[in-house]
Amino acid sequence: MTPTMQAVIGLEIHVQLDCATKLFCSCPNRPGDDPNRNTCPTCLWLPGNLPRFSMEALEKATLACLALNCQVQQESAFDQKVYYYPDLPKGYQLSQFHRPLARHGWLDIVREDGTPQRVRIHKIHMEEDVARLVHEKEGRTTVSLVDFNRAGTPLVEIVTEPDLHSPADAMEFLRLLRMHLRHAHCSSCSMEQGTMRVDANISVRPLGSDELNAKVEIKNMNSIRHVGDAIAHETTRQETAVRTGEPIVTHTRLWDPDARITTPMRGKFAGPCVPDPSVPPIVISEEWLKERIRCLPEMPGIKTERFINSHGLTREEALQMSSEREIGHYFEAVLAQQAPPRLAAQWIATQLLPLLKERGEFPERISPEPARFAGLLRMLDQEEINANAAREVLRQLLDSTASAADIVAEGGYRQISGTDELESLVARVIAEHPTAADSFRQGTAKAMGFLMGKAMQASGGKANPRLLKELMERTLTR
Amino acid sequence: MQSEVFAHVNPSPDAGTGQGSLAGKRVGVQSLFSVRGWPCTGGSKALDGFQPLEDATVVRLLKEAGAVFMGNTHVSELGLGIAEDTSAQAVAEGQVDVALMLDTLGEARTAAARAGLYGFKPGWGRISRFGLMGLAPSMECIALLAAAPEDLSRVYAAIAHVDERDPSMVEAQSPSIPEGGAPPRKVRRAGFNPELVARLTPGEQKAFSRAMLQLEQAGLTPVEVSLPDWDLFAPTHQVITAVEASSSCGKYDGVRFGHRASGAKNWNEMYLQTRKEAFGLLLKTFLFQGAYFQFENYQAFEDACRVRGRLIRMSEQLFADLEVLALPTLQDGRDATAVRDIASLYQAFTLTLTANVTGQPAVTIPGCLRTNGHQDIGLQLMGPQGSETALLALAQQISVQTEEVA
Repeated sequence: MTPTMQAVIGLEIHVQLDCATKLFCSCPNRPGDDPNRNTCPTCLWLPGNLPRFSMEALEKATLACLALNCQVQQESAFDQKVYYYPDLPKGYQLSQFHRPLARHGWLDIVREDGTPQRVRIHKIHMEEDVARLVHEKEGRTTVSLVDFNRAGTPLVEIVTEPDLHSPADAMEFLRLLRMHLRHAHCSSCSMEQGTMRVDANISVRPLGSDELNAKVEIKNMNSIRHVGDAIAHETTRQETAVRTGEPIVTHTRLWDPDARITTPMRGKFAGPCVPDPSVPPIVISEEWLKERIRCLPEMPGIKTERFINSHGLTREEALQMSSEREIGHYFEAVLAQQAPPRLAAQWIATQLLPLLKERGEFPERISPEPARFAGLLRMLDQEEINANAAREVLRQLLDSTASAADIVAEGGYRQISGTDELESLVARVIAEHPTAADSFRQGTAKAMGFLMGKAMQASGGKANPRLLKELMERTLTR
Repeated sequence: MQSEVFAHVNPSPDAGTGQGSLAGKRVGVQSLFSVRGWPCTGGSKALDGFQPLEDATVVRLLKEAGAVFMGNTHVSELGLGIAEDTSAQAVAEGQVDVALMLDTLGEARTAAARAGLYGFKPGWGRISRFGLMGLAPSMECIALLAAAPEDLSRVYAAIAHVDERDPSMVEAQSPSIPEGGAPPRKVRRAGFNPELVARLTPGEQKAFSRAMLQLEQAGLTPVEVSLPDWDLFAPTHQVITAVEASSSCGKYDGVRFGHRASGAKNWNEMYLQTRKEAFGLLLKTFLFQGAYFQFENYQAFEDACRVRGRLIRMSEQLFADLEVLALPTLQDGRDATAVRDIASLYQAFTLTLTANVTGQPAVTIPGCLRTNGHQDIGLQLMGPQGSETALLALAQQISVQTEEVA
């Protein structure tokens, strides 16, 4: 069936900034500590206290804006988003509503169908997080408990234009956004741990039209996959509603990951946003902004292109090496020790990182030291060891301080590349398995795999596989 | 312990070490100022039992300068108006040398003029507001009352320091105590507005003319100025202050401190019941107005902010040529202590709230606008931004002249 409807999707992404303190006081920014441990008269909003804006938060927020290609505004200001709820100790949330920190950003994604698309970012603003509520029963009475650890922690909210049209594109955008913000060291951006929260605004329209219909906001997705699932579900729900002539009303729905459906929650918040008279407007000088731009690391997209152009990596290899800032650093440090670039990229992606993850060491640190890892790669490249042996040597590199060469010498991992030795090995294996040899000669190609396996086994895994195969083929076809 | 003047009497006023610029000066602060270990009830049930954890910056500075704290004076609910205020009484009865008040509409100048005292409101952002139970951050300012103008200068010099805990402060150098009132060498003009003078009784008009003569003797040339937008100050002040007060009072929810209503079925009902019980009628009316402009008529609030910007620019132009603008403090027949509703509140403070809207310094001087058998309506001098020291010097100079005449 050809689709007749198109989904129009805009995302609102809250990202918790990786700062030492809260946004308006010097309490530690550690919401997960024991309840109400990280509080002070300012974030409890006891009378007489005044908010003091954190410069660290401004720096991190600005880096986030730059990482997403936004225009940082010379002047921005905080507003009071007024509503009464026990998670807000002062009856309003400080948020930049009228004058956000940055506007007009973008990220280039590759769509589901392989075509590139620029997704525009409408604005990025700073705001404080609210307290956490816990509803419990004490006997038969319901009690609401408040934990103020999270109250006042620094967030940025990123609002996209309604440029996305499929769950897959939305997921791709979120993955790219996360990669950029992690690169800039602004945030850990973990949806599972709540340092990145995504709300999706969805509407549908006839394909080819450019109208914007009543939109529905969905919340409560705690992974990028859930965002995709929720968007897919909500799009179908709205398309069905349109077909059956049911009106779509602007409201908020919650994603239920177990039932895999969305359920209505409440009307959309429409409280007032009043300029706050206590936090002075934030004025950014050109010099200060230049310094932030200087601090901004190379973004993944640019890094990918550079790895392709100057190191000859394939696009896939380059993407893997540029996905996280630490991986890129490590890769380049290994290259600086004269490791062959493609081999290094392949071994980091397929051998080293899985091994480190298995050992629970990544992403905290990447080992071994670049020089020792490069030593291993050079021996592999020069066929002094084979891949089997290299994997074993790599394990040992992680547990010792010895060089790759020492481990190879000590463990006898050097591969057998001597023609005499390999020739006698081949002759012995063929003699021991005449049936397999015959079937190869009669055209059964897979018999070669069997004979190679036997020969490799006989060498104790040390035979140079390339030479071994050449010799085996030559002997059998003679 | 309470008294007629003090909501909390300091049981052991420390005579001090006799050191510091304010050694031995007796001061009182409204119960809107945080003093560590003292109750700070702000005249409201919403602050029932609230004890600040530390001193307000201004309280700390006063203590460091050697001032002796006599107690917390009574205050109208959260400092709105002066109906319940005893600051002026504390000074007039000689219980303190200087009283500190929060001035949002002109409370300090009005209370001073009524009691025949000097009242001084510095420009906005000159004294730290850290530790104040404030209502309207963009309007309010700590102001001083004293019987002797030199006490104003001394105390002001001790407390006007930039404080990193109040980020709204004007980054300015700390003032020095004026040196005997030596006038700066330039043409000094004192403006007056004929329309405002025309609103006075004939007796008051005569007194005003005499006051202008006194200013002339002090070296200022009287000039007529026009104030075409004068009537916009009060409504602008009212809309903005009501909105700010509505936000400021959001924290009085009974969750973390203060009065909490009992017997509510859920938190929402607890909020409503608590706030219903905690606030008095005048404040409640004001908060209703603020909520109206926030939720129902935001456009009016935006307009008020725009008009305020225009009034400030107009005032800057006016004061580019003026050393002071002279006007009365009180308006005859409008008793600020008998205020029952928001309309009469704003009528009582019409002549003082201008300086709060523009954030300019102003001083009220007793004894100049007194007519036989009538109340002293207090000569008010408004100065341009940053003219605090010059204004205080002028007040001192005029006080000497007034004494000589008497």
